[in-house]
Amino acid sequence: MAKSPCTHGQAPCFDQNYHLDRGDVEGSAGLTRRVRGVAQKENAVSKRWKEPAHILGVGCTRFGNLLETPELAGLGLQELAAMAAKEALADAGMGPQDVDAVFVGNVTMQTSQMPATYSQLANWLGTRFKAGVHFDAACSTTNVGATMAAMGVASGAYDRVLVVGLESTQSQPDGLSPYARTTIPTEEMWLWTDQCVNKAYSVPQGYDIFPTYNAFVAQGYCRKYGVSLEDLDRGLFELCRTRRLHGAMNPKAIRQQTLEDEAKAMGFDDPWAFWTSRYNPHVAWPSRLYSVVTPADGASAMVIGRGDEAVAGASAPVELKGFGVSVMDLPWYDDDPTVMPIDKESFSKAYTMAGIQPGDIDYLHTHDCSHIMSICSAEASGFLPEGQGLAYAREGRLRFDGDRPMSTHGGRHAFGHAWAASAGSDTYEAVKQIRGQAGPRQMPKAPKTAVIHTHGYAMISTVLVLQGGN
Amino acid sequence: MADSTVKKYYDGLAQGKLLGKKCNKCGGVTFPPTTACNECGSYEQDWTELSGRGRLLFLSHGIAPPPNPRFNDLAPYGYGHVKLEEGVYVQAIITGVDISPDALRKHFEAGPSPVIPDILDVEGLPVLAFKAG
Ligand SMILES: [Zn+2]
Repeated sequence: MAKSPCTHGQAPCFDQNYHLDRGDVEGSAGLTRRVRGVAQKENAVSKRWKEPAHILGVGCTRFGNLLETPELAGLGLQELAAMAAKEALADAGMGPQDVDAVFVGNVTMQTSQMPATYSQLANWLGTRFKAGVHFDAACSTTNVGATMAAMGVASGAYDRVLVVGLESTQSQPDGLSPYARTTIPTEEMWLWTDQCVNKAYSVPQGYDIFPTYNAFVAQGYCRKYGVSLEDLDRGLFELCRTRRLHGAMNPKAIRQQTLEDEAKAMGFDDPWAFWTSRYNPHVAWPSRLYSVVTPADGASAMVIGRGDEAVAGASAPVELKGFGVSVMDLPWYDDDPTVMPIDKESFSKAYTMAGIQPGDIDYLHTHDCSHIMSICSAEASGFLPEGQGLAYAREGRLRFDGDRPMSTHGGRHAFGHAWAASAGSDTYEAVKQIRGQAGPRQMPKAPKTAVIHTHGYAMISTVLVLQGGN
Repeated sequence: MADSTVKKYYDGLAQGKLLGKKCNKCGGVTFPPTTACNECGSYEQDWTELSGRGRLLFLSHGIAPPPNPRFNDLAPYGYGHVKLEEGVYVQAIITGVDISPDALRKHFEAGPSPVIPDILDVEGLPVLAFKAG
């Protein structure tokens, strides 16, 4: 590979990835060549933590509906946030006054009607006088928060930071009431959520997440790998069964019924007949309703710190070894909808920083608002071989007890998706798996290395690499 | 008053023109137009008009009611991933197509097909859609 500077930008350029991506430079396909790239190695030296950062504690509410779900019904967003924070602080063996700063994320301001959460939550979290900020990276929010908190810790500016994400996608304040909430229609939720998407051109001209993030990706996958539409449907059916199985084993999931049980309840002995029935319509052909997100209300929290002090009663710290973040606007792909360049970037950056290879990964979560996209991201991560993800799903290999376990909390469809809180729920699950605390869905051998990938609208690809002690 | 890039784009659409930017540094075409080249990030760009000819790579449909109430009367509509002959990608409403599963399957099996702009007036806003061409 050439090392001489080029002039694809204004300044002399050593960025081989730019040219590899464009096919200017010969190289074997895939992520590993990027990790081996000269430029990556040079960058890696300057992109290590100066001091290690650890996740000391994690918390997460049940994901559900503030108007209906027993554990949540009647709560306000302040209490929801406090519930997650209390669990995270207890997990870390500390109290709210032990943190130096609070970073709070929330995306859909129309449903929270609560900017300035740093002060509005201070008396609910018990964090008066601490530093604070309100921030947003859409569905990557809590994990981007973890990276910012870790930067605060690794720099020496903070010893411990509390990161909180909270979201309601199901309801909004009822008029001017300080506590009553009222449900919102699905299309209104999407209108507000799509305010994260290109507002100059895409949204005004008919943008719709279902074809963009589901149907084109599914069609592209079939065309690229020669997968038949029937095998696509079967593969996504089996993937849904796996995620629903995980949800059925998770008391915090919004959907706790297996797909088989739901089919029976609807009068179908054969779950495949239920899958292909009118109860599971195409949201955007060939993608079906049960291959996509289940919007939810919820909150998650984590405590990030140095991890070098023994705290009585605390759970084992999990190291945040590295991260990668990469952003782009629509369209998110070129000829090949199965590959988002931002994913290649974020995985590559995270692996380099953490000093890992794809073969080191024991547990993976990829953003699964769209099940087919989550398979593409898992293949981009190197955890699943290209073009084989759906076959792996059919063979049950993505289950908690399989050899490529993914999204054991149930993912966005079964665990649910509360925009700003969800990335924290993914990290929560990974931390529990690493510590061997995942209950009935615990992987037979607790993972040492876990990778968490999220897509925040529209679009911020975020990857965390977590490692347990041994 | 300063010129709005976004307004100029929509004014162009209303006249049947697809206006983008061409980079003075790398020659890259940015469409729809912004203040920076989508290839290299340079701010040094000039306006350019695109031909509008392209290929429809993938075709599906959106949901109904649609996420944006502007399209209440059109939804559910065909929606496609289009590559324009200048090398840029656009996702847009596709008109004049049957969006039943059987028809979409036939379209998928037939593969990419040529399209040309079909600029719609939707609640007073010109909207870039495409049709078979
Ligand atoms: Zn340029």
